[in-house]
Amino acid sequence: MAQVMMKDLNKKYDEVHAVKDVNLHIRDKEFIVLVGPSGCGKSTTLRMVAGLEEITAGEITIGDRVVNDLPPKDRDIAMVFQNYALYPHMTVYDNMAFGLKMRKFPKVEIQKRVQDAAEILGIQELLKRKPRQLSGGQRQRVAVGRAIVRHPQVFLFDEPLSNLDAKLRVQMRVELKRLHERLETTAIYVTHDQVEAMTLGDRVVVMKDGWIQQVGEPLELYGKPANKFVAGFIGSPAMNFVDVKVADANGALWAETQGLRVKVPPIHTSRLVPYKGQQVTLGVRPEDLQLASGSDPSEYVFDAVVDVVEPLGSEILLDLRAGNSTIVARVEPTVRLKVHEKTRLALTPDRAHFFDLKTELAI
Amino acid sequence: MLIERTWKRWVYFYIPLTVFVVGTLFPFYWMLITAIRPDAELYRSWRAATNTPFWTLQPTLEHFRDLMAKTTFPQWLWNTFFIAVASTAISLFCGLLAGYALARLRFPMAGALGTSIFVTYLVPPTLLFIPLANIIRTFQLGDTPWALILTYPTFLIPFCTWLLMGYFKTIPKELEECARIDGATRFGAMLRIIFPIAVPGILSAGIFAFTLSWNEFIYALVFLSSPEKKTVPVGVVSELIRGDIYFWGQLMAGALLGSIPVALVYSFFVEYYVTGLTGSVKG
Amino acid sequence: MGGLTQVRPGSVPHGPAQAPAGSVRRREILVAYALLTPAVLLVLGVLAYPVAWEVWISLTSFASRAESRSFVGVANYRTMLADAFFWRALATTVVYFVVTTLAKLAVGVALALLLARPCRGRALVFLAVFLPWAYPGGVTVVAWYWMLNPPLITSYSVAVGHWKHAVDGVAGAGAYTFASVALFNIWRGASFTAVFLLAGLNAIPRELFDYARLETRSAAQRFRHVTLPLLRPFLALAVFLSFTTAFADLANVWMLTGGRVIFPVVGTYAYWLGIRSGEFAEAAAWSLSLVPLLLLALAVLFRWFDPPREAPA
Repeated sequence: MAQVMMKDLNKKYDEVHAVKDVNLHIRDKEFIVLVGPSGCGKSTTLRMVAGLEEITAGEITIGDRVVNDLPPKDRDIAMVFQNYALYPHMTVYDNMAFGLKMRKFPKVEIQKRVQDAAEILGIQELLKRKPRQLSGGQRQRVAVGRAIVRHPQVFLFDEPLSNLDAKLRVQMRVELKRLHERLETTAIYVTHDQVEAMTLGDRVVVMKDGWIQQVGEPLELYGKPANKFVAGFIGSPAMNFVDVKVADANGALWAETQGLRVKVPPIHTSRLVPYKGQQVTLGVRPEDLQLASGSDPSEYVFDAVVDVVEPLGSEILLDLRAGNSTIVARVEPTVRLKVHEKTRLALTPDRAHFFDLKTELAI
Repeated sequence: MLIERTWKRWVYFYIPLTVFVVGTLFPFYWMLITAIRPDAELYRSWRAATNTPFWTLQPTLEHFRDLMAKTTFPQWLWNTFFIAVASTAISLFCGLLAGYALARLRFPMAGALGTSIFVTYLVPPTLLFIPLANIIRTFQLGDTPWALILTYPTFLIPFCTWLLMGYFKTIPKELEECARIDGATRFGAMLRIIFPIAVPGILSAGIFAFTLSWNEFIYALVFLSSPEKKTVPVGVVSELIRGDIYFWGQLMAGALLGSIPVALVYSFFVEYYVTGLTGSVKG
Repeated sequence: MGGLTQVRPGSVPHGPAQAPAGSVRRREILVAYALLTPAVLLVLGVLAYPVAWEVWISLTSFASRAESRSFVGVANYRTMLADAFFWRALATTVVYFVVTTLAKLAVGVALALLLARPCRGRALVFLAVFLPWAYPGGVTVVAWYWMLNPPLITSYSVAVGHWKHAVDGVAGAGAYTFASVALFNIWRGASFTAVFLLAGLNAIPRELFDYARLETRSAAQRFRHVTLPLLRPFLALAVFLSFTTAFADLANVWMLTGGRVIFPVVGTYAYWLGIRSGEFAEAAAWSLSLVPLLLLALAVLFRWFDPPREAPA
């Protein structure tokens, strides 16, 4: 059991600066998820922790050891790969026992550990098979089992679920979470799927272009995104962004653009004062928009025309046009609206977000 | 990207690699030095004060001149070229069709046919040249290029088929299916979609076939007898070794000149060649 | 392997010129056979027939000097098997094959691992790899002969002569020539083996090696438990290829050196018997004596040769 520290971590390839000044303190027993679009440096960071990539600058500490110059085998970590990396010429048992055998564990111990892991994962009957005889989900389980038997200080997961179909992915996600609760081992998990990140992580690290954008608990990222990128990346469907002008009228601040005018909610007023007369970006999540009823305060209501209706069963997604802006709203399944129909939308005032147009930081 | 010390990289990487490169290229260097060494130096005593075994102080082109003037070397070049191109073309044609069928179509005995075509590649020519010599005699093809153009495909087709089959398998089926839905016939899709994509594979199969037929020795030795009909490999060694007398300088000159086409082909297409080979093995 | 035209059960019942599903399938089979015909005809025509002819001839008394040919059963084989010379030739052939193949595999694997790593001057290295193989073997063998067994009067023959005596003195007569022939074969074949194995290495997912780096304690362990087993199918194939070239090269050496190389092998002796002496029947028997060996090796290798039919899990 161990904490992992990254200090001013950098990775440069010949031309590409893949990881930039990453500082991260991963607490003992924490499940941390690195998430971001492809090429954001998340996998490179993980591979540096594993020792598969050399560290250009900075320092990584596992437990209380600086591991920069330790070869991967001595870092007391176990890794699960995207394509499972099972050896086709070995049985499931041998695959799971491989790391222990290489480390000269006594046979009895190996057998016990493999059996235990197989039991936890429900793959006891598969131990004698070869990987090619297994389904994708089973292979995934074996790959996880192979990491469990090692009893490492840290688990590393490199997009382990992305080769599974959607249904299996959800199921394995739950299993991984349960597993982590049971094993209580520090885990670093890389994914490009924000849903996976939100559901699995104790804390989530959002990365882009090699920089860390924000670190926080899932709901913190959702509720208080540090910048426009995080706001757009977390949550599905993505947050709506509309560039608006901050205007002063009737003793209050208004956010307005062509065909759309709403009052700046009181919680934002003081911070938006300096932006008076300037452009900012207004961000509203689809779930924070609803069809306006009579009780909604009229200063948060605007007109919109329905473009597309996407009924999902449990909810309906509406693609609407308000002035020049396109907006997605998530509404009750009972709503009956047709394409081209006019309607009025109301936003939940304290859930609106504002971002600086240039720095894209939250205001 | 391995974490290792510099000296380790030298001991485990640069030094072995250098040893290998030098060791492999040394015979060629030896050929070159022999080809440009005057006869007097070739036969000079080992103990002579002027002996310089690893280089020469009086480079000369006399052996190249003699080769052109005293033998039918240019004719050999042309023969070899003609035979190599013709047999390569035949083999590629057959290999393309067969490779496509084996990679893409389902039919009874597909596996067995594929395996047996491959196994034929392994039948050593030492097993075949006696009966083939007899057949060539029966059809009166002896001493003509056709004797070789028809026999070379026996070992070229299996390899071409196998290599191209592997390559075709790496091309997504959807590309072809899409073309067929868009109105192409199976043949049209094969010609216009699959073959162009398979160019690296086809090139590497072609290079392989060309090299093998250019270098082939046994069949050429057995089936051709007149000096002016010979191919380079056979001509060089049979006409420049007379009994016990070796015309070393000319031999080496011929060896160098005769291999220029193959060397050229390789230097141009080596990237394709490696890609093609890698692609086919991945299947 | 997959069909392009999947037979869909309920496919468009009313289409005008729509053929029923069965005929689509039949057409596919027909097309397949049509495409295979030229290859099969040429290969079988110029391969199966000669082999059959050879088998038949080996059972007769056919020779260019004999007036008639008559069926003599296994007499040719009996003569051959009774010949001590045959057994010596066979032993030489097998030893030669084993020695060169092992050496080629060892050098090939090492080289493939070296080539797998990017470095400056890779182009030169690749040239060095391809040249011995791409160069006409019949020609390079003369160069080797010139280098290792120079005729008496050449300038450095004295030096090589001393060496030759030393080697023969230690390992017995003919050892030096055997070594030089073997060396030639290895020189020519090892680099091709290496390229082939490199292609194999590249085909193996990188993650498998990444995982090995996390779990194994040393490079040697990694090599033995991971690299080698993963390369096994490609190694088997390399042995296949080595098999054929070994025989071909041997014949070359024999012929090129005008019988100067003083050790007998099955293939070259068959050449002497058949082409030079016209003893076709006996030569056929000699040639065919290799077939059981070939088949045995093929059977063993095919069990070993477990082609990566699908991407490794």
